[in-house]
Amino acid sequence: MAILNDSDYQRTVERQYRELLARCKTHMKEVERTLPEPVVDFQTLLKERGVSRRSFLKWTSMMTGLLMLPPIFRPMVAKAAENFSRLPVVWLHFAECTGCSEALLRTSYPNIDDILLETISLEYHETLMAAAGYQAEENLEKAIHDFAGKFVCVIEGALPVGLHGKYLTLGPKGKTGIEVAKEVTSKAGAVICIGSCSAFGNIPAAKPNPTDAASISGALGINTVNIAGCPPNPINFVGTVLHFLMFGALPAVDSLGRPVWAYGKRIHDFCERRPHFDAGEYVEEWGDEAAKKGWCLYKVGCKGPYTFANCAKIRFNDAISWPVMAGHGCMGCTEPGFWDTMAPLEKPIEDKTIGGESTVDSIGIALTGLTAVGIAAHAGLTAIRHREEREKEAK
Amino acid sequence: MEAIIPKQEWSVAIRINHWAMAFSIFVLIATGFYIADPFTIASGETVDKFFMGNVRFVHILFGVFLVFIFIWRIYLAFFSTFHADWKDFFAWAKLGNFWKQIKFYLLISKEPPEHTHLYGPLQSLAYGGLLFMLFLICLTGLILMGAGYHAGLTAVVYFLLKPVENLLGGLATVRWIHHILTWLFILFIVVHVYMAFWYDVIFKEGTISSMISGRLFRKAAH
Repeated sequence: MAILNDSDYQRTVERQYRELLARCKTHMKEVERTLPEPVVDFQTLLKERGVSRRSFLKWTSMMTGLLMLPPIFRPMVAKAAENFSRLPVVWLHFAECTGCSEALLRTSYPNIDDILLETISLEYHETLMAAAGYQAEENLEKAIHDFAGKFVCVIEGALPVGLHGKYLTLGPKGKTGIEVAKEVTSKAGAVICIGSCSAFGNIPAAKPNPTDAASISGALGINTVNIAGCPPNPINFVGTVLHFLMFGALPAVDSLGRPVWAYGKRIHDFCERRPHFDAGEYVEEWGDEAAKKGWCLYKVGCKGPYTFANCAKIRFNDAISWPVMAGHGCMGCTEPGFWDTMAPLEKPIEDKTIGGESTVDSIGIALTGLTAVGIAAHAGLTAIRHREEREKEAK
Repeated sequence: MEAIIPKQEWSVAIRINHWAMAFSIFVLIATGFYIADPFTIASGETVDKFFMGNVRFVHILFGVFLVFIFIWRIYLAFFSTFHADWKDFFAWAKLGNFWKQIKFYLLISKEPPEHTHLYGPLQSLAYGGLLFMLFLICLTGLILMGAGYHAGLTAVVYFLLKPVENLLGGLATVRWIHHILTWLFILFIVVHVYMAFWYDVIFKEGTISSMISGRLFRKAAH
């Protein structure tokens, strides 16, 4: 393998990015040719909502950076945002709480992500659509037929597999969740799982999991992009869709199907309280002096060290705050099975209880104590025997 | 008086390996418990403090050290020019001896089992178990280290071990298993040290000093 010097390396990287940009441009032209006209003009909408051109450009810079692309991609990100409403989306709900939809669509004062999500061309969304019953079913069938292979299927919620999926039946025809999911995903251009329920099963699949709920990929055996989180950050969803619009492919994912650009590093690696962790400064209980000083939440159960997500970098609600900033530790909601593996949520992982009250440490201390007692008894018995033998020998 | 013949029992490599491993394990247990349940250092400015950082540095340093000691120990088990002892880890397979050994330890019988291998039947099980525990704690440790460091050999190792992390159910579970294993090490140490002293007292062959000098003192009749 030839070792490139700095300038050679730079040139190679730049060439690769230029090629990628060319591919992106070709794809965007294809998108503009084949997909329906935008429902709304995004720039007009931004102006109506009082978002300046400058704010929009700042936002494109941020998104480009987040997607780990160099600045030459900014115009493409802006164009993809304008084309956002061209992408037909079918949004399915299964075993979930609709919290992900809430997190994505509700906001007190809308930022660009929210306005963008407002323009999203939802062909089918059970919570938001006006249609009901057979009419809704018709909409879904029409969308699947008209945009076959082009639409993006966004899935919120886990699939109950038990009783042949009969724990979850939907619509006037009483289809099971599994039937609906199979029907829609088989025709979709891409499947994006939003939230940890569809991504990993999450709370519906938490122990004892009475409905045998499973993730979409687990229940259907298909590949999905998992925007994990409970709820996930809207930016991670928006970025993934922008990537799909720009390149016609979903972003690179890690071994759990999460986009690497968003879930590549741990909460702990970018936490603003990390210096307090390294210094040995910990909040011991809620509301103590340390909590007021904003010290590390490790001892009150922060699971940031075990959780891959970018919350610490991009925060929530227009970067206003995020859980650790607000003073509660991370709960690890982007990790598979977090409800079980991250428990107890407000204590360090070592305090996980086994069968009631005991922890690893209490069992360990008890076993070591028992061993010590056993050793003492054994040593005593050995000594007694030894003496008997010596006395016998002396005789 | 019977003649006492010194017999070379342990090679230099095994002795260095033993004490390096023992020292590493003690350092790792101490630092590990701090990382698991740290105490707060309240006084002083944050900028001047780096206690957890330093403890983690020492833990990771000795952790990597332990990985290499473990690999060395496995190498010695197969390729030691003095005594490649991999077969001795299966001394427990002689079930008659195994039963005799239990009776001897429980002070029921005064007849020790026949000395067929380097290790006794129970000893071979314990040491085999220790090597397995070492393998698991090194594996979980490398995963936990790799999650935070994304360069060099660590990154390569973490990339290879990521499926193991997913299989175990995420870093939190890996961390928990790591903690459980620590207690198994503590239990092993307690029993191991006691048994070494016990042998020293019962057989009077210098079991304890043999791990330093390398020699056991066998009575000629034995």
